[in-house]
Amino acid sequence: MSAGRAAAGGASPPPHAPEFEVVPREGGIVAVCFVAMASPCELLLEADADAVREVGRLAAQEAWRIEAKFSRYRPESIVSVINHSQGHAVVVDGETAALLDYAAQCYALSQGRFDITSGVLRRSWVFDGSDRLPEPAAVTALLPLIGFEKIRWQSPRITLPAGMEIDFGGIGKEYAVDRVLALVAAHFAGAALVNFGGDLAANRAPGTGPWQVGVERPDTEREARLLLELSRGGLATSGDTHRFLLRDGVRYGHILDPKSGWPVRDTPRSVTVAAASCVEAGILATFAMLQGSGAEAFLEEQGVRFWCLR
Amino acid sequence: MQLKRPASPLHLGLMAASCALLSETARAQAAAENAAEAPLQIDASVLYYKENAGRVQTIEPVVSLVKDFGDQRLLVGTLTLDTLSGATPNGAIPARTQQTFASPSSTSLTPKPGYKTTLYAIAPGDLPQDPHFKESRIAGDLDWSQPIGLDNTLSYGGHASTEHDFDSVAAHAGLSHDFNEKNTALSAGVNEEYDRIHAHGGNPVAGSDYALYEKEPSQTKNIAGGLIGVTQVMGRNWLTELNYTFDHSQGYLTDPYRIISLVDATGAVTSYRYENRPDTRTRQSLYWVNKVALGPTVLDLAYRRSKDSWHIGSDTVDAKLRIDLGSGMYLEPHARWYHQSAADFYNLYLIETAAAPSYMSADPRLAAFAATTFGLKFGIATGRNGELSLRLEQYEQRPSDQSSSLTGLQGLDLNPNLKATIVQLSWHLEY
Repeated sequence: MSAGRAAAGGASPPPHAPEFEVVPREGGIVAVCFVAMASPCELLLEADADAVREVGRLAAQEAWRIEAKFSRYRPESIVSVINHSQGHAVVVDGETAALLDYAAQCYALSQGRFDITSGVLRRSWVFDGSDRLPEPAAVTALLPLIGFEKIRWQSPRITLPAGMEIDFGGIGKEYAVDRVLALVAAHFAGAALVNFGGDLAANRAPGTGPWQVGVERPDTEREARLLLELSRGGLATSGDTHRFLLRDGVRYGHILDPKSGWPVRDTPRSVTVAAASCVEAGILATFAMLQGSGAEAFLEEQGVRFWCLR
Repeated sequence: MQLKRPASPLHLGLMAASCALLSETARAQAAAENAAEAPLQIDASVLYYKENAGRVQTIEPVVSLVKDFGDQRLLVGTLTLDTLSGATPNGAIPARTQQTFASPSSTSLTPKPGYKTTLYAIAPGDLPQDPHFKESRIAGDLDWSQPIGLDNTLSYGGHASTEHDFDSVAAHAGLSHDFNEKNTALSAGVNEEYDRIHAHGGNPVAGSDYALYEKEPSQTKNIAGGLIGVTQVMGRNWLTELNYTFDHSQGYLTDPYRIISLVDATGAVTSYRYENRPDTRTRQSLYWVNKVALGPTVLDLAYRRSKDSWHIGSDTVDAKLRIDLGSGMYLEPHARWYHQSAADFYNLYLIETAAAPSYMSADPRLAAFAATTFGLKFGIATGRNGELSLRLEQYEQRPSDQSSSLTGLQGLDLNPNLKATIVQLSWHLEY
């Protein structure tokens, strides 16, 4: 009998039915559809429907694996283990270490504005479209629990002070997109595109021309669908479509400044960025959001293709 | 759509970080996949066990290899070597006069041509112990486990060991079934063991007079057993497991080296008999273990209740607390309490004038006693996948019956307390 059962992290099945569907599309494209990370996920392959089942299964399993391993909602995930470590060191595997290194670099490059410890602010902020702002004192009280510099991180050992939390919310899905694309490319010779709820990456264009990508950018009144062409690289969108508070005519978007604990003012409703990978596109979109009114100027400075909606 | 500009220093930094993340994790993934193809765990340890008063000491190196063939198919091989030396009680009680015994390898009590005689004398008041005891054993285990379908695990394996006077082969098979979203597992298993006992100098005729020194050729016994168990995840921090085991032994269950003293009404030792045990024994035990995570500290609490057809009943409470010290180090205090009642044919000695019982033994392991173990283990991570640990334990066994009211035996410690020290150095490595 396996006494190690309690310690088996990351290998448990996802809570939703672990299933995927193969749907033929026009133009010799097959879609593999499944749900992961609370998003509809799609893998588009230039192939016959019967040729993609195996690679589709690999893709879905990889997405579920990453979700199970890094979701802060899963008690057995490495993120939960770290968040419940009560100030004790946790030894992490190579993949988690790389994500933590990445988070550390992003924290440094953003001068502390991109911070994977800022999730504790969710205890005060609930972005449900209402006008219920938190008490300023309650927000201030959370600030001592925020700050990546308070973490002792020396690969492979992380020591998180008790009470603090980390999450890979700003990184995880984009990372999963790139990982799944790499996995698919290793097992499938044709053109492939991975789309997890609007964050996507492609390895190359199909024979019929670039991928036609519709990016959802719904605002409060209408669906504004952005139609883009993508041959290769990543595309990611950061937006506050349904996640905001509105009080006295002021819109409070869900992008929070970890230094003040309050939403960054004057953020665009939506920022879409194209870059070499989905991870890179995602972090640029997030950084842009953190600039508030300076989002467009920031993105122009970076020399990337982007689409902002205000 | 904006005009393409050269990337800014910040963008270059993010590009580099993103590339590093993806290449680093691809590398980690590849390493993990390689590991999944050929991961190997090696456990090596050396255990040193030493009893007080110059009694038995053991050095036992163990090497264990776990090879993962992927998809939860595991092969586990273990090799154990034992060297046992020192004095071991022969079952006789201390006496007021000097006692003389023959080492078991002797074929005669008195020197005569064609026979071997090695004698040892025990001073008055001392516990009779055979000083020439020396044994080495080699044992190997091979186990295989694999999933069957999504929710079942099949395991089977074999064991073989050999030493100068004892050979054993055993096989086992088990099946476990997961359900309730893998929160519950039911297990069942069976095992069969076959042993051959060929004592040094021959197996004595059980229950016979020691002075006759009658020996027989080798004897055998076999043990058939089964297990059923349930493992339940009780919550995020609590795992509990309940097992019931049953086994039935049949054959030569007597210890060929143990004798029992016969005394007269005054308590003077007059003769000895070889011990004689029933040739069947049925044992049942219930084992309940809990693993509770209290933050990074893990409590392991177990209770076992056993009883057998010889009327030995025992209770064990075992507690371990693994305390994370940070920086890859941990400390694990261990405490164990054990109590057993005596076998119904156990006696410190027999009265020569009374009718001889059918079964008799003075083996201290069949006596009523209480025992405690206190220990401490310290572990330290070596690199990412290794661990070195050192365990120190002190064992003490206190028999219930240690004295006699017979005048000739008064003041003698007939079954002394046993103390032992255990030191174990272990090394764990994963490739």
